[in-house]
Amino acid sequence: MSAAPRWDADTAVDELYAVHYRRLVRLSVLLVHDVETAEEVVQDSFVAMHGRWRTLRDPDSAMAYLRQTVVNRSRSVLRRRGVQARHTPDPMSDHHGADEDALASERRGLVLDALRELPTRQREVLALRYYADLSEAEIASTLGISRGAVKSHASRGAAALRHLLEDAR
Amino acid sequence: MKDEELRRLLSDAVSDIEPRESLGSIHARTKVSPMQRKRPWLLGAAAAVVATAATVTAVTMMSNDGTTGSRPPSFAGPSATAGKTQAQEPSAVSKPSPSTGEPSQSAAPATVMETVPVYYVGETSHGVRLYREFHRVDTGGDPVAAAVNQAVATSPTDRDYRTDWPEGTTAAHVDAAPSDVVTVDVRGDASLHDRPADLSKEQADMAVEQLIYTAQAAQQSREAVQLLLNGHRTDTILGVPTSEPLAQADAGDVLAQVWIIEPGEGAKTAAPFKVSGLAAAFEANVQWELKEGNRVVKRGFTTAEECCRMAPYSFTVNAPPGSYTLVVHDSDPSGGEGFAPWQDTKQITVVP
Repeated sequence: MSAAPRWDADTAVDELYAVHYRRLVRLSVLLVHDVETAEEVVQDSFVAMHGRWRTLRDPDSAMAYLRQTVVNRSRSVLRRRGVQARHTPDPMSDHHGADEDALASERRGLVLDALRELPTRQREVLALRYYADLSEAEIASTLGISRGAVKSHASRGAAALRHLLEDAR
Repeated sequence: MKDEELRRLLSDAVSDIEPRESLGSIHARTKVSPMQRKRPWLLGAAAAVVATAATVTAVTMMSNDGTTGSRPPSFAGPSATAGKTQAQEPSAVSKPSPSTGEPSQSAAPATVMETVPVYYVGETSHGVRLYREFHRVDTGGDPVAAAVNQAVATSPTDRDYRTDWPEGTTAAHVDAAPSDVVTVDVRGDASLHDRPADLSKEQADMAVEQLIYTAQAAQQSREAVQLLLNGHRTDTILGVPTSEPLAQADAGDVLAQVWIIEPGEGAKTAAPFKVSGLAAAFEANVQWELKEGNRVVKRGFTTAEECCRMAPYSFTVNAPPGSYTLVVHDSDPSGGEGFAPWQDTKQITVVP
């Protein structure tokens, strides 16, 4: 961005929060599965971005930094949480009502559960590609892996997800 | 599964999520608090120091160097690296201090100058992580006591690092059963029980890891660490559960993945000089730049001995006399933008 606005760190937080906060939390939910953790991850990421503003200085690199920090921190949270969280009962599974809302929320639960079963990298690549709409190159740099690796995680992840969702039916 | 279908599935899966408003808490945490005002480099993070390179002089204790793992530092050379100390010993250091002869740890009440490992936190592109310094202090024969107290109560030599323990906190190593546990008593205000408002959960966790890593490194063991608060066991410290002895968290999750060990912050050295450290880098690739202000004077790369876990690297730099910032970081495998490297920086002076 050549005509980048001259923001200070506080403005950067406010502006990027206004536009991207909700989407970043949703991205993190795809990775960590629960909303409260996702909110915390995103909050921490904004604080970190504020601290790094002097080296970021423009909205584009700040956004790339935020996205990357959200993904990295989501991964750390999962690692710290270990296996224990994988067996939390699914809050969605009690809903068996036939109305639209219940069906929709059950469907969402299934997708989130299926994502949780995937290896971390596959889950990250799918979320960045199909939710955050990043290009292969952007995903590669966000995750610090090669474009070839992005491709293979994406295709394996998509296949595994399909498989899991078919099983769940 | 088609791209479109995946796109729809994923965005639908989170479409009902309306996160809590949290701009207020972010502001509360980014606002400059009194503690931060005293240590203004807190918010600056690693690279920001570039701007202040010329004015930096190391104060507090001298740091030193080690070249491998968590063993005590072994380097002692004519191109001495340590920062200037106030009324401290001369800077070049081999293991035990020559000035006190060969101090043995049993000489309890005497002055025992020893070099102890001290962990501090630093901001990285991956969150708050730990870095290690070596401090040469009078341990009175108990390196663990000296090290943990350094960790909570003193400022690091490198201004990119910090301690998140509230001001006025001290720590001591105490004898307590069982003997296969290291017991560390955190001393200070009773409010240390809870997490202060200006500390994130991650920072609180990392502050506790800082103590665990420091105690274990000083003791040279991996024995679990029992934390006490003002002499008593307590359910939490800084809001982190502490009723049980704690093992250290995985190094991959808590350590910054690139450290410069030598030269230390503020080092004055003749050229050429050797740089060494530890890095857990993608394909073991380690890159470096020597900067004068923002201008890169020299750059190069090397490989660590192993990839993907903290492993030693070293390289030699030649540069004309001057003040520099040395930056060591891992490599960007993608060549793309937005890469947030692991890095460590040191302000150094090359003397004629």
